[in-house]
Amino acid sequence: MFKTVKLKILAITILMLAFLMLAFAFHIIISRMKTKQLMVQNYKFSITASSFVQGLENRIITSKDNLKSLALIGSLFYKTDRSPELTDKAVVRIFEDYPQSLGGGIWFKPYIIDKSKKYTCFYAFRDKNNKITIDRNFASKEYDYPNQEWYKQIISQVTPQRNIVWSKPYYENQGSYTKMVTLGTGIYVDNELIGIATVDWELDSVIDEVSKMKPLEMTFSMYKSGGEIKNSFALFGNLKDDYVIASNDPYLDNETVIGKSLKEIPWYTTADKLYATTYINYHNRTYIPFVNKIDDEMLIIICLPKSEMFKDVNFVYFLMILSMLGLTLLIPTLLYFSLNRYIINPIDKLTDIAHKIGKGEDIQIKIEKPEEFAQLASTFDKMTKDIKSITQERAKINSELSIAKSIQASSLPNVFPPFPEKSEFDIFATMETAKEVGGDFYDFYFVDEDKFMFLIADVSGKGIPAALFMMTVKTLINNVSQLGYPPKRLIETINKKISQTNKQGFFVTMLAGLINTKTGELNLINCGHNQPLIKRNNGDFEYLNLAPNIVLGAFEDAQFEIYDTKLNPGDIIFTYTDGITEAFNDKNEMFGEQNLVDSLNKNKTSDIKQIIENTTTDIKNYMNSTPQSDDITMLAFKYNGDKKVKNFETEALQANYKSFYTWLHEAFEQWNLDSELRNKLDMCAEEIYANISFYAYPPKTGAVCVSLEKTDDSVTMKFKDSGVAYNPLEKPDPNIDLPPEQRPIGGLGIYMVKNMADNVEYHRIENENVLTIMFKS
Amino acid sequence: MDLTIKRKNMSCLYVKAVGRLDLDSAVEYGSKIKDSILDSEEPITEVELDFEYITFMSSFGLKVILELYKELKASGGTIKLKNVPEQVMNAFKMVGFDKFLVFE
Repeated sequence: MFKTVKLKILAITILMLAFLMLAFAFHIIISRMKTKQLMVQNYKFSITASSFVQGLENRIITSKDNLKSLALIGSLFYKTDRSPELTDKAVVRIFEDYPQSLGGGIWFKPYIIDKSKKYTCFYAFRDKNNKITIDRNFASKEYDYPNQEWYKQIISQVTPQRNIVWSKPYYENQGSYTKMVTLGTGIYVDNELIGIATVDWELDSVIDEVSKMKPLEMTFSMYKSGGEIKNSFALFGNLKDDYVIASNDPYLDNETVIGKSLKEIPWYTTADKLYATTYINYHNRTYIPFVNKIDDEMLIIICLPKSEMFKDVNFVYFLMILSMLGLTLLIPTLLYFSLNRYIINPIDKLTDIAHKIGKGEDIQIKIEKPEEFAQLASTFDKMTKDIKSITQERAKINSELSIAKSIQASSLPNVFPPFPEKSEFDIFATMETAKEVGGDFYDFYFVDEDKFMFLIADVSGKGIPAALFMMTVKTLINNVSQLGYPPKRLIETINKKISQTNKQGFFVTMLAGLINTKTGELNLINCGHNQPLIKRNNGDFEYLNLAPNIVLGAFEDAQFEIYDTKLNPGDIIFTYTDGITEAFNDKNEMFGEQNLVDSLNKNKTSDIKQIIENTTTDIKNYMNSTPQSDDITMLAFKYNGDKKVKNFETEALQANYKSFYTWLHEAFEQWNLDSELRNKLDMCAEEIYANISFYAYPPKTGAVCVSLEKTDDSVTMKFKDSGVAYNPLEKPDPNIDLPPEQRPIGGLGIYMVKNMADNVEYHRIENENVLTIMFKS
Repeated sequence: MDLTIKRKNMSCLYVKAVGRLDLDSAVEYGSKIKDSILDSEEPITEVELDFEYITFMSSFGLKVILELYKELKASGGTIKLKNVPEQVMNAFKMVGFDKFLVFE
């Protein structure tokens, strides 16, 4: 039930709505009554309209009717046969049907019926058994009714209009000694008053009846469940003649007050004032007076204690306030707990789990209720797995990228020196990519036995697409270069092929050189690339101004201009990509060409590896912490001329002599030296090697480095060792003219070397003995 | 190096070597010849060194030759070199050995 947050919230909302509606209903009901004042007014009206109809007024009306009937019976008796029996029966009959009355009858004026008889009356009364008895002889000298106060009061006030006259209350002391009041009307025949008809009320019963009056159930049904109101009291009075008929005021001596003026009643002001008053305070209690006038003559006031009247109303008020208070507390509490349970807690749980997952924990998220959160949790779970797999995929891509990088790196020649057997030139190149794989590349290879091609290029764009294109272009250039075309045709073919291959609109800037390693003749071509720098005759690097050709891959039929020059031994060509001149520092300034030239010339070295490494350091220092924005690629080529160099290094021991001369003889063979030169070299090599192995290091050992360098017209042999400093050239020559008996056994080796070589030099360089022996060929 | 030492007659020792007379081999060459002279029952008065197959000789070879020469001379003997290649001859000449050595 209510599985989802939506349903739960809906349920709570409906619940709260119901509560609110209930409260609203209460409010409406209460506000309909607005004030107690209004309610009392309303009640007053009700009591006037209904209560008395049912109560006293009924009685009065009945009394009136009966009085009329009695008067009629009296007049009939007078006018007709004057049958006393019949009249008796009629009177009895009236009182039998009139239980509220104590008795009553017809009283004729003295002597009016019979001139001889003073009293003629028909008086019926209710005996102790509630039976109506008629006593025709009731009147006597002992009860001389015409002299009774009630008779006098009534007969003096009756009119032919058959008005009802009330006697003052009096005590009937003839029989029951009860407090009574008599109502009477005149009996007229031909407008002559002949007697009166009366009914007697017992005042106690009137008061009882009056005080029993209570609000109609209809009126207060909302509040009152039929219970009687206690502590109420009533006042019954004659307004016209201003006297109290009856009262049951608990604080008064009601016996005494009967018949007295209404003003004797302490709380009474006037009927009209009381009618307009909501409350009266009487003996520390608040009462609500309900005032009723009958025929502007009789007055009935009922006083009801306020506390009882509104007991139920107060209770309802109390209930209402309680329920409002309850609602006020309940709604936020309900909201708080349901929000907590169904929304906050699952969110907390998710947050917690997200934290843990963020830290790398492997957690399965499980929330079953409510459904939204179950769904969110499973989505979260799926997301976690997705992220995991994406991360793994990323890692895979990254590793693939690094594989791509190593493929790219390995596709560029990166073993230096690349042709150790070639002494005609040195070449060195580096590339540092800005992204994992870059668009720069360099390449070099022999296109035939003597011709060597080197190039540096920058493919437009970066990243994998550029790298793929770069691989294609690199392969393409290599393939075309092997065809043996002359330079112009070569470059134009390359351009054509790249243009044909290139559907994506890539282009390539390239600087290439094609050199004859035998002669130093160099063809340079610049296809929209940075100009190269050249260093000649151990001078400074300076820019070469080549014809600026169009980039490769732009137009299929583009023409290219070749720059022809000749390199002398020792000359260096330096090429690079724009990643160098456009390397930014943290002030967003570019490294530029001048910095490059300065950097290249700063170190007076002709070792191209050293040159490139120095420049790399300078660029990195310039960039400081600024991230590299473009590939940084450099390639340097140094022409050595058509010379041949061989190097040999071994531990300087006599035992290693054999491997040394084996190496030496291989060089002789390779270089195809004539036997005389071979012999000289052989002899000198042996002398110096022996010298070093005997004297340089013992008792320790150390290395000896031998290099053999052949040019067109000479062979130079250089020995290096880091043993004790010793210049063999300072040793004096032996006297070869001495007779054999006087000649020493040794000491001929150095003399022979000096004798055979065309030049011998000794230098002590950086703790090394360097002996250079040169032979002309 | 291959070394052949034989008696040509009672007092003459014939030495034929093939290869290089250098740092590695010269000492052995010299000591083997000296051993043969000393081992001989008959006194050796003449040593004939055949250089036909000596491809190379360095100062170590010259040193050995001078030693041999001095020892034989002291005992009244002589040393004679045969079939010396031109390059080796140049070495002898360079250091003035041609002035006292006997070439055939």
